[in-house]
Parts: sequence; C-alpha cells; structure tokens
Amino acid sequence: MRYNLGSFPNARNLGERNLTAKNGSATATRAKASDEPDQLPRDLLTREEYLELFRQLYLARYFDVRLIKEKKKGRLTGTLYSSHNQEAVLVGSLFGLRPNDWISPIHRDMPAFFMKDLRSGWDNPDRMGMTIEEVCAQVWCKAGSPGRARDNWSHIGKKAKHIIHSTSMLAGTIPVAAGVAYADKLDGGDTVVVTYNGEGSTAQGVFHEAINFAAVHKLAVVTIIENNQWAYGTPTHLGYPLEDYARRADGYGIPGFIADGQDVFDVYDKVMQAVAWGRSGKGPSIVECKTFRAYGHGDHDDDRAAKYRPPHEVEEGRARDPIAIAKKVLLEKGYISESESTLYQAEGKSAGQTTDEDFPPEVVAYLKRGVDYALKSPAPAAEEGERWVFRV
Amino acid sequence: MKKNFLTAIKEALHEEMEHNGDMICIGEDIGLLGGAFGVTEGLQERYGTGRVIDAPISEAAIVGSAVGMSLNGKTVMAEMQFIDFISCGFDQIVNNLATYHYRTAGDVDMGVVIRGPAGGYGGGALYHSQMNEAWFANSPGIKIVCPSTPSDAKGLMKYALRDRNPVLFYEVKQLYRDNAIAEELPEGDYVIEFGQASIRREGSDLTFVTYGQNVYHCLKAADLLAEEGVKAEVIDIRTLVPLDEETILKSIAKTNRLVVVNEAPMTCGFAGEIVARIADKGFEYLDAPPLRVTRLDTPVPWAKTLELHVLPSVEKIVAAGKRVVRF
Repeated sequence: MRYNLGSFPNARNLGERNLTAKNGSATATRAKASDEPDQLPRDLLTREEYLELFRQLYLARYFDVRLIKEKKKGRLTGTLYSSHNQEAVLVGSLFGLRPNDWISPIHRDMPAFFMKDLRSGWDNPDRMGMTIEEVCAQVWCKAGSPGRARDNWSHIGKKAKHIIHSTSMLAGTIPVAAGVAYADKLDGGDTVVVTYNGEGSTAQGVFHEAINFAAVHKLAVVTIIENNQWAYGTPTHLGYPLEDYARRADGYGIPGFIADGQDVFDVYDKVMQAVAWGRSGKGPSIVECKTFRAYGHGDHDDDRAAKYRPPHEVEEGRARDPIAIAKKVLLEKGYISESESTLYQAEGKSAGQTTDEDFPPEVVAYLKRGVDYALKSPAPAAEEGERWVFRV
Repeated sequence: MKKNFLTAIKEALHEEMEHNGDMICIGEDIGLLGGAFGVTEGLQERYGTGRVIDAPISEAAIVGSAVGMSLNGKTVMAEMQFIDFISCGFDQIVNNLATYHYRTAGDVDMGVVIRGPAGGYGGGALYHSQMNEAWFANSPGIKIVCPSTPSDAKGLMKYALRDRNPVLFYEVKQLYRDNAIAEELPEGDYVIEFGQASIRREGSDLTFVTYGQNVYHCLKAADLLAEEGVKAEVIDIRTLVPLDEETILKSIAKTNRLVVVNEAPMTCGFAGEIVARIADKGFEYLDAPPLRVTRLDTPVPWAKTLELHVLPSVEKIVAAGKRVVRF
C-alpha cells in the first residue's frame, strides 16, 4: 500500500469528529481531520474494485434475506442472527485483506465465512475463504458443513482457510487471534488477524486480557467492534459509560478508529489503516464501526424486540441503508449511470419486501448453488455424535 | 544421580523444547524468574523470550492465546502459577480448548499442556491447595494427569507434550523437593503413554486406588495394615483421563474390596467416578461396599489443625481399609 500511514490519532480526537451514532442515525461527515492521512486507502481502489465492493454488499444482503425467508418457511433449524443493515462492516473490512490473513467472525457475521478473500475470485477453488456450499450446508445443519453440523450457526471455521472458529462466549476469540498472531510473528510472518465483536462483548474480561496481551507483544490483531447499538436487549448506555467504544483503545496505548459502519468505503479506509498498522509491526488496534441492528437479536426475538426498541428508533436506524449509501458514491464518481443505479433496488426494504429481482442475477445464482448443495447434503450419521472428543 | 520431582519435570520441558522447535512456553513469571517454584528455570535463557513468554496476570489470555498458537502450528506449555488460578481461565479451557477437536470434526487438534502446582498438606489455604481436577474430568476433551514419582512425572510430561490433545497436568507441589522420593531417572527419550495405572504395592485383601500425594498416604496405610495381617494393594492411576479401568478391575477380582482415595472434595469428585465405574463393571467381584476417602466437602483451610482435619490422612485410610475388610 502506498498511502501515507500518517500518525495515528487517538480515539479521543476521532471522537471529536462528528462520527457518533445516536439512536442509529450516524451522520458521518467527510470533513477531513488534520491528522487524517492525505491519501485514503479507498483512493487507490479502481472503478472495478468500487463496483466489486458494491456487488458484495448485494451478496451479503441477499444471503441474509434468503435465510430469513427460508426460516420463516420453517426450513431451517436453530436461530438466525441477521446481518441486515450491517453488511458494510463485513464487506468493507474483508475486502482489503490479503488471502493469508486470518479472521474470526461471530454470530452476526455469517456472510464473512464465504466473503473472505472473495476478491481472489468468487469461483476460485484456491480462494482463502469458505465456499458458499460449505456455509449453506452449515446453515441447513448438514454433514457438508466444515464442522459437520456439530456446533450451530456461526460456530464454524477452517484452519486451512485461516478462519478461526468461534464459540458462544463473546470476545472469546480475541485471545485466540492473539495466539495466532503471536505464532505468525515468531515465524517471521506478517499476516494480520481481524476479529469481529459486538459492542456488548467489550465488557467481557477476556476482551481486556487479550488486547492487553496483544498490545504488550505488538501483535497484528485488529479488533472490530460492530456497535449496532443493542447487545441483545441492552442499549449501549447500559454497557459502557462512554459514547465511543473506540476509546477502549486508550487504555492500551493503541489506535482506536471510528468508522461509519453504514459506509462501506469508510469501513474500508479505517480497517485498512488498522491492518497496515498491524502489518508493519506496530501492534493491535480497535476499529469501532457504528451501525444499527435491523431486527431483533435473533429471529426468535424479532417480535419481542419491539418491547425494548421504540419503532421510531428502528426506523431511523435503518434509514441509512449501506447499499443506498454506496450507490450514491458510485453515482457521484460516475462509476454507474442513473439508469444502472435503478436496476436493483434492495435498499430500504425489509427481507419480506424484497424479491430476487432486487438483486444482481449472479448474486442470486451464487446463493442458489449453495442452497442446492445444502439440500442434497445428508444429515450427519448419529454415531458421529461421539467421535472426535479426542484425537486418536 | 537421584533427581527430585521438580527436576524431572524441568528436564522434560527442556528436552521437549530442544526436540520440538515449534514449542512455546507461556505463563506468569516463568521466564526471567524461572517460575514461582523454579520449574521453568533456564528455559528463557536457552530458548529466548520469543519461545518462553512471561505473560501478564491473565489466565484467560494465557490459555486463549495458547489455543491460537496451537491453531497456528505450535505446541504450547501453559503454566498456571498455582492450579487454583485455573478458574480464571476456565471458559477458555472447557469451552474453547477442550471442544476444539470435537467442534471441527477432527480438523483441528490442540497441542496444549496446562500444568501447575497443586494439592494441599502445605498450609497453602483456600487458594493455594486445590485439587480441582473434577471440574475438568466433567468437561469432555481434556486429558488429566497426576503423577506421584519423578520418573512418572518426566515420562508423562514428555508424552503430554507430544499428544496433540489438551492435557491438564497436576503437579503435587509438596513432592517437588521431597528428597525421600528422589530417584534415578530412566535414560534416553523416556515417555510413558497415558492410560496405564501403576501397581505400587501388591496385596490380596483390598485395593487402594489413588493418585498424586495420596499414593504415599496409601502406601503408609498399607504398611500399618500389614502389621495386622491385612495385605493391601495400592494402585496409582497416574492418569484420570484416560483411566486404566482394566488394571483396577483385575485387582478387584483378586481382592474383592475397593477404597478410593483422593484430595478433592467428595461430592462429584473423581473418587466417586472410579467407584461408580467399578460398581458398574465389577459388581460381581465386590464383597464389600466400595468406599471413598476424600477431602470433606469443605474448602482447604489454613491452620494445620483445620487442614489435616479435612484432608485424607493415613488414619482415615487405615480405618476405611479395616471397614471393607471386616464387612
């Protein structure tokens, strides 16, 4: 990367920029702070890469929409944790990673498993990410899943593809990420590990223990905090006394970035700066992405969510659709025409309001492949339930 | 030359660090200081700060990062300064480390050995005396070791560090520098496979099944019982998970009487597990109810009078032996 790393502002300075999201209505200003590098990572992206980022937003959204519909038809087992309205965080953070970098997604990051290293080619078998088939087999609870349906939902991973496996214990993968980074550093590598976490998980002791350890050893661990304003049923002000979770970085003397989580390009900029910081041996960092959870915590909670989230707040939070924001940027840059911009209209719609026509056909076809595979994949054999407790 | 228990473990660590260039040691005060008890002395000097890490006081980060290092190709020895402190890393052990192989359908194996000083009888009070192995025996996916002799400690430690399964290694700290048990260590690359109990004394009238420090209490009790004509067999199981049931069953077939002795509290302790398995698989051999001699269901208190009252003693073991023989 040629862009100037600049000197890293601490979270306090970043917080002074008008990037805070109150009640989900993040109003990001593009006013340049004096300490921001002259050239942003996005400035090095080509038109094609802008378009690919845009296309990936549709892919993430369509995956989510399709799953919500399947679940409503009773075709899926378990709970579904929607990433609707938070796609820019995933797409923007994954896009600039090197194939060999590691990630550790959690429950709301399901698309990340197959979107890792998507840039190496959606159909490239050597791509350093899971296939759409594997991810769908997991969602459908089939033996074709990388974990053979032993743990549910996002609790999968793939060592060979550098994807860390999560548990239900939040922030629990950050020390694992630190260990992966430590081993890599000891071997002279320069891979970066990106962990995904909700803002609620930052209150866990292990969050602190792991980042402290990573900071002491200057490990290339980027901790993304997806601040979607709600930790299950608890609002942010009951989880952390400050406005900006990025300020947690202050205590470790590491950079704390704040990104507008609805703006895929801003997420890309901030994460790429954090990644470059880590890759150059300067250590860990935190990137807080301000976003808003579109639905309940899980689909079991969609109806009850109305009890703790006022409808007007949800409306405001969902008003800044990441697809619409990216589309506007592409229009302004002249990368798409007015007529092209109206081809697919998924933005601003809930899952039930969309049809397949709202998405690019290649996106729909990609997911179909995954679903077809999942439907054909068998359930795991009962005897597998007692296998693999120990390595024999 | 005779070597003590601590030296045996130290030798195992040095030999494995030498033999395996991908091995890392991590723990509190293990580098510069060489460990609170000196088990890791000389490791950092020899293998450097990269492979021998002085960790912050963060058991969850120690275990969690060990998981990550293992995921990325390393073998890790993670020291708990006292095994009591393992509770601070509990979630990372039982939900992350222990389940990794299972969750990934065998794709990922964990080369992580967690070891630390354990056990009572030393006036360590509540938080420096524990034997908390039952917590982990109840968490599938962790192998549990508790040796009682220097040579066993060395052979089992070397096996643990090559096993590619999570291993919890309980080191009886009262034995670390006990010259009475110092012994010549076997030459060469000495490794003891898990799941093999050791018959420490042969007898025909009853069987003591035990591990760790209580092995010596049982041997002493067997001496006293012998004076009264009662011949007790003493089995040191050495590894709890996996458990060598065969050796115990064979012994019970001969003696028809079982007393299980360990330092942990009685309720849901590992002694109860051994009794249950023998009741299941060896019921027809038994001529008396199988008994447990364990710590009372209390924490380990500080004052000597209190501590000895709640822990198993030679007297309590002898009494249990007499009870099963006279049944």
